[in-house]
Amino acid sequence: MIRSIVTIGAGQAAAVAARALRRRGFDGRIELLGAEPEAPYQRPPLSKEYLAGDDDCGLHLLSEKWCAANDVHLRLGQPAVRIRPERGLIELADGTEVAADAVLVATGGSPRRLPGVEGERIHYLRTLRDADRLRAQLRPGVHVIVIGAGFIGAEVAATSRGKGADVTVVETLDVPLQRVLGRDIGATCAAIHRREGVTLRLGESVESVVETPTGVVVTTSGGRIEGDLVVVGIGITPNTTVAEQSGLAVDNGILVDEYCRTVVSNVYAAGDVANHWHPLFGERIRVEHFDNASRQATAAANNMIGRITPYADPHWFWSDQYDRNLQYTGHAPVWDELVVRGSVEECDFSAFYLRDGLVRAAFAIDRGADVLVAKELIAGRVSVDAHILADEDVDLSELTALEEQL
Amino acid sequence: MSEPNPVEWVPVAELSELARRKKKQVVVGDTPIALFLVNGRVFALHDVCVHKQRSLSKGTVLHGRIICPGHQWSFDPATGEAADQVECQPTYDVRVENDKVYVDPRPRPGRADAGAAPYTTTAAG
Repeated sequence: MIRSIVTIGAGQAAAVAARALRRRGFDGRIELLGAEPEAPYQRPPLSKEYLAGDDDCGLHLLSEKWCAANDVHLRLGQPAVRIRPERGLIELADGTEVAADAVLVATGGSPRRLPGVEGERIHYLRTLRDADRLRAQLRPGVHVIVIGAGFIGAEVAATSRGKGADVTVVETLDVPLQRVLGRDIGATCAAIHRREGVTLRLGESVESVVETPTGVVVTTSGGRIEGDLVVVGIGITPNTTVAEQSGLAVDNGILVDEYCRTVVSNVYAAGDVANHWHPLFGERIRVEHFDNASRQATAAANNMIGRITPYADPHWFWSDQYDRNLQYTGHAPVWDELVVRGSVEECDFSAFYLRDGLVRAAFAIDRGADVLVAKELIAGRVSVDAHILADEDVDLSELTALEEQL
Repeated sequence: MSEPNPVEWVPVAELSELARRKKKQVVVGDTPIALFLVNGRVFALHDVCVHKQRSLSKGTVLHGRIICPGHQWSFDPATGEAADQVECQPTYDVRVENDKVYVDPRPRPGRADAGAAPYTTTAAG
């Protein structure tokens, strides 16, 4: 009988799990252990609204009032060290032992760092503190050098432009998001940044980053760039130390099955740290996005209390850059057909990534409705003619409606 | 003789205009309103999403719910309640007569128990 559930980590996945458990009627003890001092907050606004200076963008996930009303306890600023499954407890860094019948490991990730690249003017963005520090330096007229044109880099570039900063983005690949979107669609993302006045230095690798008394100097394979601050956005690595100390199987994150179970009974993992066996795609996938954290956490919470629920949804995420809304769903490391609906030139399109006649992933700019349809098509393994997807006279939602009737 | 606040039904669309795409943006006064045809019934919601001001009429209807194209917030077409969120999208009374759609431009009273929800926020989703 599970009478107490503790999360290691107090971010998105932990907060959603707590909420799901109470909603499902679990009435045992719930405790969230957070390494950071802050109560659970969501990270997506840290590179967008919050970074832009909006304090009222609703960062916090669980209000004090809700925690009190639902008897959910937060133990913050105290990292966990390991789980002792045989003793049913978790050891904290200060020696405290916290009893737990079931554990959700939701330790997230840490920014990948460039060796030795640290300083007052050098930023990595993951936590609220990181965002506060960057925000204080982000002023009109400063020159921000962003290293990495992934989602964090792109969003920081967009927000910085919005604040009146000059922005240079350095990216090793030839186009942004090349591995996810491919060359042609990635090129549209490059065009958006250029249109907004960002200097893009693509296909250049960083050789050194040096902080001087008055600024920063970044040397790349293409030359020397002088700026006021540097933001490094080159991905994250999963925080697996606790998992390793606890005897969990770890390989690019904590290995979990489709039910978000680790190899140790009653220990689950969710969010950025979980390398999840995805039944729909038939492979292990570790995803570093908000919606995935929420859905995995919900599935884990259900499974902890005996409501057997696989997590099989296609992944979905969005990015807001400038006034545009980008969305992606699914998983397509390779594809054999790319179908574009709309106009790539006008940045008003959706792109469908097909393999063996099935939609495996989709990306869209300002066409969230198409992405929603794509998600349904992916989940249902619906075979769709490429011509239909490309035909703007066809209402895509009819494709899913048809599916519902079958 | 008359009601204190008589409903002034404003004609906004022909029912046939909703047949194909199941949705249409109309403007009443200065207010953009999104009409949706869900399971044969017409619903009216404020077109500007309470979350991040995207246009709901560019969204879609899925499994009987209105999905915002911006961040996939999911709304109950009748009440405007957003799934897993505190926020509530304003909704309007609708009347269909002789294949014409009428809207009462005064928003319906909102949900009362928003304080019970865990999220205090409007961001992300």
